[in-house]
Amino acid sequence: MHDKRPIIIDCDPGHDDAIALLMAFACDRLDIRLVTTVGGNQTPDKTINNALKVLSYANIEVEVAAGASKPLMRDLITAPEVHGESGLEGPALPPPTLKRSTRNAITAMADVIGKSKEKVTIISTGPLTNTATLLLTHPDTAYKIERISLMGGSCIGGNWTPAAEFNILVDPEAAGIVFDSGIPITMCGLDVTHKAQIYKDEIEKVRNIDNKVAKMVAELLDYFELFHKKFGFEGSPMHDPCAVAYIINPDLFTTEAYHVDIETQGEFTTGATVADMRHVLGKEKNVDVALDIDREAFIRLLIECMMYYG
Amino acid sequence: MKKPIIIDCDPGLDDAIAIFMIINNPNFNIRAVTPVAGNQTVDKTSKNALDLTDYAGSDVPVAIGAARPLFKKLVTAEHVHGKTGLGDISLPHSHRAFSGLNAFEMIYQEAERHENELEIIALGPLTNIAITLLKYPDIKEKIKRITIMGGSCGCGNDTPAAEFNIYADSDAAKIVFDSGIPLTMVGLDATHKAMVYEEEINEISGYNNKVAQVAARILTNSLSFCRKHGFEGSVMHDPLAMACVMDPSVISTKKLRVDIETKGAFTNGKTVADIFNVTGKKANADVAMDINRERFIKILKKAMMDYGV
Repeated sequence: MHDKRPIIIDCDPGHDDAIALLMAFACDRLDIRLVTTVGGNQTPDKTINNALKVLSYANIEVEVAAGASKPLMRDLITAPEVHGESGLEGPALPPPTLKRSTRNAITAMADVIGKSKEKVTIISTGPLTNTATLLLTHPDTAYKIERISLMGGSCIGGNWTPAAEFNILVDPEAAGIVFDSGIPITMCGLDVTHKAQIYKDEIEKVRNIDNKVAKMVAELLDYFELFHKKFGFEGSPMHDPCAVAYIINPDLFTTEAYHVDIETQGEFTTGATVADMRHVLGKEKNVDVALDIDREAFIRLLIECMMYYG
Repeated sequence: MKKPIIIDCDPGLDDAIAIFMIINNPNFNIRAVTPVAGNQTVDKTSKNALDLTDYAGSDVPVAIGAARPLFKKLVTAEHVHGKTGLGDISLPHSHRAFSGLNAFEMIYQEAERHENELEIIALGPLTNIAITLLKYPDIKEKIKRITIMGGSCGCGNDTPAAEFNIYADSDAAKIVFDSGIPLTMVGLDATHKAMVYEEEINEISGYNNKVAQVAARILTNSLSFCRKHGFEGSVMHDPLAMACVMDPSVISTKKLRVDIETKGAFTNGKTVADIFNVTGKKANADVAMDINRERFIKILKKAMMDYGV
């Protein structure tokens, strides 16, 4: 019996963030010590509120701390087209009972990492502003971060611009700091998340699980599906849950180590994760890029996690 | 009617095979070859163009083009194409003279003479065509199509993001891609599938003519280089683009908006293709995504056989 793995989840809920959170808390091998939020899918006030609402609804007790109010160098971009005005359109959730932490995200992250006996793993499902700020302000914490499993980037073209995936595009400078940090990184980008789709019949399986959390997740998936249908997807890509699933069971994924740079200066390419897939640079490999997933096993895991709630 | 064509190129080993493929084809009226700096410096690519066309028995005009990219410093591919630009191939020295026109005057002259019919096959950096567009903007309406060997929707081969021809003069590429001229982009997405396998090379080397012999030698030398880079066959970038001009059905294309990155710290020269159609911008290029390799090999072999079996 191995010890529980200490975890910080940094997120911007967001439909798929909410599902990712619920999956992580359902896994008894993870010891989630802190949830931090950032602006991204919606503004920072909305993302913290959404995190609190989802966690309260599932009766989860954890410190939830609000992070950066905007990207390091740029104005915030949000994604109301995908997540609606609230950032969590679909299910009607009651106001949160959980209160936000009095500490800000960076202070809380530094404290949790500093006090932890073991190295801490960060699961990041939003723009990387908080983690980058942590590394800028507390550089010593880098040595105590086991790995960062993040949803972001793409080697196959972007979803917000032709070259960039949303999370990296929102704060490319932050992504650059994180990718250059030397901390082991797993990048769950569109290469894998577009293969991690959940289909309609599987959403029904989630809905038929007899607990209120699963029913709420099914409603999130219903809303999420509407947007993706417009873009010709058969199902809904489970972007953020991939970053959690990798930590729960890395064997679900096929990864390849590449050198990845983050473009911050491009006219058309800012936010691109430039992966040296043909090894033309000879630079050190800094990222494990997830390229494929055992989709069916991944969906089984998602469903099992939802059964945990009753 | 014979289709009027200009071959804009930087020979270059795979350029040489591409030139051989079309230069004597009776269905095409090759108006000129316009060499540009790229795989080697322009003095070498021009000499090679003259020697190659001579060797194939053609007296097509060779009009010398740009010696360097528009704004960037010249980068060549000597590590691939050698000191002369033709590896270990040495051809008889041609005694023909170069055209009195330079490349952009030649391109414009032919575009006027063959309005709406002239096609350009661009096998090197796009400097010559960009200069022509800068000097004679009205040429946009006169050119039927430019088929470009260059770019990639995936990774590059010169940098992680960029393919060599576009990287070498990304500013020129931007001018050409933004010009509104119908474009076919034959990039690495397709050319990496244009592999010629060893037994096919052996077949070509069995043709009893001197052009096929040179082609076979280039293919053989390229094979060991390509194998080192993880390919099973000899990857023939320029010959595939040339085959597309000769028979467009050799590739399948997707209409995409392609922007050229000229400013990135890591992405200069990237052909930024809007694969998931997120910009809503109008497509400006037919991008080759897949090839019919068997058909490509047939075209290549037939072209080499036409010189005598």
